[in-house]
Amino acid sequence: MKKQADTSSPFKLSLGDYIGISPKIDLVIIQKLADRFAGRHFLHINSTRSGGGVAEILQRMIAILGGLGINARWEVIEGDARFFDITKRIHNAVQGNPEQFSKDMWQHHFEINKKNAKKLNLDADAVLIHDPQPVPLIEFRKSGKWIWRCHIDASSPVSGVWGSLKKYVKKYDAAIFSVAKFAQKLLLDEFIIPPAIAPLSGKNRELSSDEINKALEKLNIAADKPIILQVSRFDRFKDPVGVIKAFRLVKKYNDCRLILAGSPATDDPEGEFIFNEVREFAGSDPDIHILQLPPTSDIEINALQRTATVVIQKSLKEGFGLTVSEAMWKGKPVIGGATGGIPLQIIHGVTGFLVHSVEGTAFRIRQLLNNSEMAKRMGESGREYVRKNFLITRQIRDYLSVWYAMENKGKSVIEF
Amino acid sequence: MAEIKPFEFKQCVSILKSIGRKAKNLQELREGLAGISDESIFHHTYQYFLRGRLLEYTNDFAQWAGEGLEERALAEYLSNIDPYSFKDVRGLRNELLNVIDRYLSDFPKPREAMRGDEFYFNEAIILISPVGIQAKNLAEFLMAIKYVEPECIYFHFYEARIRPPEEVDDFSNWFEDALDKRELANKVRAIDPFMHSLEETRRHLIDLVEKELRTDMERF
Repeated sequence: MKKQADTSSPFKLSLGDYIGISPKIDLVIIQKLADRFAGRHFLHINSTRSGGGVAEILQRMIAILGGLGINARWEVIEGDARFFDITKRIHNAVQGNPEQFSKDMWQHHFEINKKNAKKLNLDADAVLIHDPQPVPLIEFRKSGKWIWRCHIDASSPVSGVWGSLKKYVKKYDAAIFSVAKFAQKLLLDEFIIPPAIAPLSGKNRELSSDEINKALEKLNIAADKPIILQVSRFDRFKDPVGVIKAFRLVKKYNDCRLILAGSPATDDPEGEFIFNEVREFAGSDPDIHILQLPPTSDIEINALQRTATVVIQKSLKEGFGLTVSEAMWKGKPVIGGATGGIPLQIIHGVTGFLVHSVEGTAFRIRQLLNNSEMAKRMGESGREYVRKNFLITRQIRDYLSVWYAMENKGKSVIEF
Repeated sequence: MAEIKPFEFKQCVSILKSIGRKAKNLQELREGLAGISDESIFHHTYQYFLRGRLLEYTNDFAQWAGEGLEERALAEYLSNIDPYSFKDVRGLRNELLNVIDRYLSDFPKPREAMRGDEFYFNEAIILISPVGIQAKNLAEFLMAIKYVEPECIYFHFYEARIRPPEEVDDFSNWFEDALDKRELANKVRAIDPFMHSLEETRRHLIDLVEKELRTDMERF
């Protein structure tokens, strides 16, 4: 194989760091599969080195796989501003938002990938291409199994856009979607692997009470009464105004605070407008805190989630909605809109409540505020559910399993 | 004295595969059920137990009928079908179809699922691997069964039932064949797989094996 620049992860994580955190079965299966794949090459390619859940998981996954003797590499494609404008539009169109595309734009998408293909070492035993940005790299495949990993909801794409992408996707050996309902029908193996959270990251690791107090002090939040929290960017689909309406219904009966915390997204021009609209709607109520936090606020978000009594994710439309798992991991009961990937995380009445209205949200908040035993029980069930289903180790296990299954194609039961 | 064949604990994990087919109403569920692979039926019924039984009903079809279509009576009928009472998937498929047909003849126009709540037919690939623990006697078995992962209990207690030639759970099979403990084997076989979660099944197994060990130790 061609000599490659060091693209290993700067993280010093190993599988052993997850002992006592992740289910043992996941660690054992990862170890066993890694023994099979020792010395072989596993290449991941996406379009950003930092920011977003995919990069956060890749940083850690590459470190863990490397520590297990797999030659795991992570490459990031480069492009000009026009390329990223086009790929942002593709991203939106795959999720069903109307966008205009010209032939020239698709050509530019391909040409940038072609340039990257010349620079990158695409030689590997398994190649995982993340999302639509690098999807044309399949045209330059050399060896190994090529898998397209779609992290977004592709259930109702703009048809012309999907048609252009599909030309590439159908050349892959397999595709992976996060949820069955996000998938498109393709004539290739389609695996369903939900995303995951990193339990040792700043956003999710255990915090000392000192760290929590410092973060609350920094945000000027008093923990003198129960806290209702929603963490999400300021977007109509997250229904921040609906959350405030629900809070006002709750306030008639229970004294509590509401915190809406989010970070601005550079690719969301509407964000600032919604933020101001939400602030205006909140008025001068001293118990409502609208926080626009810098993207580097992982510890602060972590502290808020650990301080909250009830966490809300009242989305009207959602991708997977991993903030639900993040809150559940901290032992909090979560009330979520029954949309996107949220029903996969919230088992109604067991790990939280699924709601369909402002009134439903208010009712469930009151139920949890007035029944601390129920809140505790749901929080504990939620944490265990996340431990079993939505931690990074389960995702690594699944990626290796898919690779192994593809090398044993045609078998529905594989003993190893 | 003949050497006892040790019990080797194995565990399994599944990887989900989409088959690209969905149903938005009962008629489409019926058509799907008639046409999908045995593996897909197997996944939505037998493998339901691998997921730890957090939900209200006892298989994916019943769960969707109850939650997605809000046809609670149908959900109850479907939930009452015990997949382990059938010799093969064909028999199970026929029973599922019969129940749906009866319901459709009584209620020909059941409601449609809301957009996004459709039923998605899937399959799963199962990966099986040894846990690395063997039991050579009942005391070792007891220690292991307390701590193995739930997926291990699924593999030996649930999945084993559809594995020829024995078609019984692996635990009772070992108690009878290797330890010559027929009575214990029968007690284990009397645990209703259909009515217990993996953790409840574990507790029953621990109770039975502990009692058996106590009785063995009191013998002189």
